[in-house]
Amino acid sequence: MFRTIQIASLAMLTCVTGFGQEKAQPLESGTFHGKVHNTSGRATIYKQADGRLLLRLTNFKTSNGPDVHVVLIAAKDADDDANFLKSSTEKLELGPLKGNEGDQNYNIPSGTDLKKFQTVSIYCERFNANFGAAPLEKF
Amino acid sequence: MANSASRWLLRWKWTLVAVGLPVLVGFWWAFRPEKLWVNQKVNEPAPFDTSSDPTPVLTGRFEAKAEQTSGRATIYKKTGGEKYLRLSDFTTATSPEVHIVLSRNENTGDRIDLGQLKTNQGDQNYDLPAATDLDQYKAVLIYSERSHTVLGSAKLEQF
Repeated sequence: MFRTIQIASLAMLTCVTGFGQEKAQPLESGTFHGKVHNTSGRATIYKQADGRLLLRLTNFKTSNGPDVHVVLIAAKDADDDANFLKSSTEKLELGPLKGNEGDQNYNIPSGTDLKKFQTVSIYCERFNANFGAAPLEKF
Repeated sequence: MANSASRWLLRWKWTLVAVGLPVLVGFWWAFRPEKLWVNQKVNEPAPFDTSSDPTPVLTGRFEAKAEQTSGRATIYKKTGGEKYLRLSDFTTATSPEVHIVLSRNENTGDRIDLGQLKTNQGDQNYDLPAATDLDQYKAVLIYSERSHTVLGSAKLEQF
């Protein structure tokens, strides 16, 4: 009896871990626009196998600058060179930009409402300037 | 005149250094002008296993043309090099003899038929012919062979 329970629980465990190993799924994606500080590439939000959200930039390029951050903003899109401080747009910090060129990943805090934060912005915190924005659409 | 200016400079040189240096450092810190020439490249891996999982190459959202059409078209490349088109979040109208085609632009001209649309709603995959040149065919059309109209189209952009 004990053996059967043991085997059954083992089978269930492998089943659960098997589910856990499902690969990351794209949820939303969009392309960057930005003329003042030439920004291009793609932003995609993935739901990882463990349920955490991840922002990935691909084919990405922007101008290098001081104190540039990746933020999510609570808006449908953002004008080139928008100032979110002035427009009091709510923003969610994802961290300093790792590089102005290339593929890069950023963790999104759990519990982030993606229905509210619909745009990715490359934002210069020092001068409150939007270098480029990518409005996200359903994948 | 030049003499008095240089004498003035000599007398105030340490004050000038004491004031000017922090100002210069401040300007450098604020604007970081060297970043105009210096690029910072990164190359982090994808959150999926690119050695075994298909990689998205091109993607775009559908726009309604003759009929209400929405959703996303994405072209994936498998590790063996084969490519396929996947529709996700997809909806179009029910109508007879609807095909899914790749086209050079959003008009029907030169096109590659990928077969009959499997269903008017939901996620679905279509294999692409091996020789498909994705630099040439950048649009996906939902095309009615009966009425020769485009129900909806998606312009593909680099993923």
